[in-house]
Amino acid sequence: MTDRTAPTGRTALPDATAPSRARRRGVAGWVDVRGRRLGGWAFILNRVTGLGVLFYLYLHLLVLSQLAIGPGAWDSLLKNWFLNPVFLVLDVVLLAGLLIHGLNGIRVSLVGFGLVVSRQKALLGAFGTIGAIVLLIGTLMFISHGG
Amino acid sequence: MTGPVDELRAAPGGARELPERWAPEERDTLPGVGWAWQAITGALVLVLLTLHMIANHFVVQGGLRDYQQVIAYITNPIILPLETLFLVVVSWHGLLGLRAVVFDFGLSARAERIVTRVFVVVWLATIAYGVTLLAILVTRP
Ligand code: HEM
Ligand code: HEM
Repeated sequence: MTDRTAPTGRTALPDATAPSRARRRGVAGWVDVRGRRLGGWAFILNRVTGLGVLFYLYLHLLVLSQLAIGPGAWDSLLKNWFLNPVFLVLDVVLLAGLLIHGLNGIRVSLVGFGLVVSRQKALLGAFGTIGAIVLLIGTLMFISHGG
Repeated sequence: MTGPVDELRAAPGGARELPERWAPEERDTLPGVGWAWQAITGALVLVLLTLHMIANHFVVQGGLRDYQQVIAYITNPIILPLETLFLVVVSWHGLLGLRAVVFDFGLSARAERIVTRVFVVVWLATIAYGVTLLAILVTRP
């Protein structure tokens, strides 16, 4: 099924295309740090941030139920909890997770669909820079809103 | 056939080893479909989430919407369908991702089918919950 003669095929670079027997399975496989290259770290980070944001999503949906209870419930929640500096720090953490996951997701999508494959390091650098700038701006905005 | 996965594997800086679902030629079920959905819904989430964060967080006086401001926001006829779509797409993307993580534990084909069904149910329940919430808020006098 695989075209063995294709220039970029699996036989072109044997070291990068280890046979599936070497593929580690289970949790031990994806948190195993031995011999990881940059792409491997990006993969772990993507997974951790993705799961973290999914956890946030369900927490968020639960908290939104206070809206259904009424104006009093929601507004006192804001006043007593969410406008607190501790929550502003959590907001920065959330934003950082979203940026890491989202930008890495675009990177993986581009490469996965066969685009920008030859300039992957440059792509990573560009996205890292964009992410850092947006995080900085976002943090400044959180701070200026104040608790 | 040489797919994008092969190119990625061969590319400098690419992952040394890729998770199972990245290797469609080695699987006999639905090659790569899950991954393509992950990428497509990811792109949609990016757009809708950016809107969501800016509208609910960054442009609001004080940083968070109070009750009246939330109601004013979601009763907007353009915003309501967009927020509903966001709910549907982001929960799909997140649960599909979690499913991929679960599959990486190495399940039998039967277990994979069960997991998939459970996730579809969770997804539908999430939508039901979110839509009910929005409906309560929008129709409240
Ligand atoms: C901000 C825009 C986003 C983009 C562009 C994006 C893109 C992607 C892509 C392309 C993948 C596949 C990565 C791979 O197969 O290695 C992925 C995985 C995932 N995403 Fe997202 N995503 C975004 C937001 C989110 C959000 C908001 C959540 C949580 C609700 C989420 C949860 C996940 C999970 C759990 C995975 C699976 C991780 C894994 O298999 O290792 N993503 N995302
Ligand atoms: C910290 C920044 C955020 C703030 C201030 C915020 C605020 C809100 C508010 C006020 C609502 C109710 C009104 C509406 O539908 O727009 C809402 C709904 C929603 N939020 Fe967020 N949000 C934030 C981040 C996020 C993130 C990161 C996600 C995704 C992972 C998310 C997912 C959702 C969804 C899916 C709904 C719709 C719920 C429904 O349909 O019932 N939000 N958010």
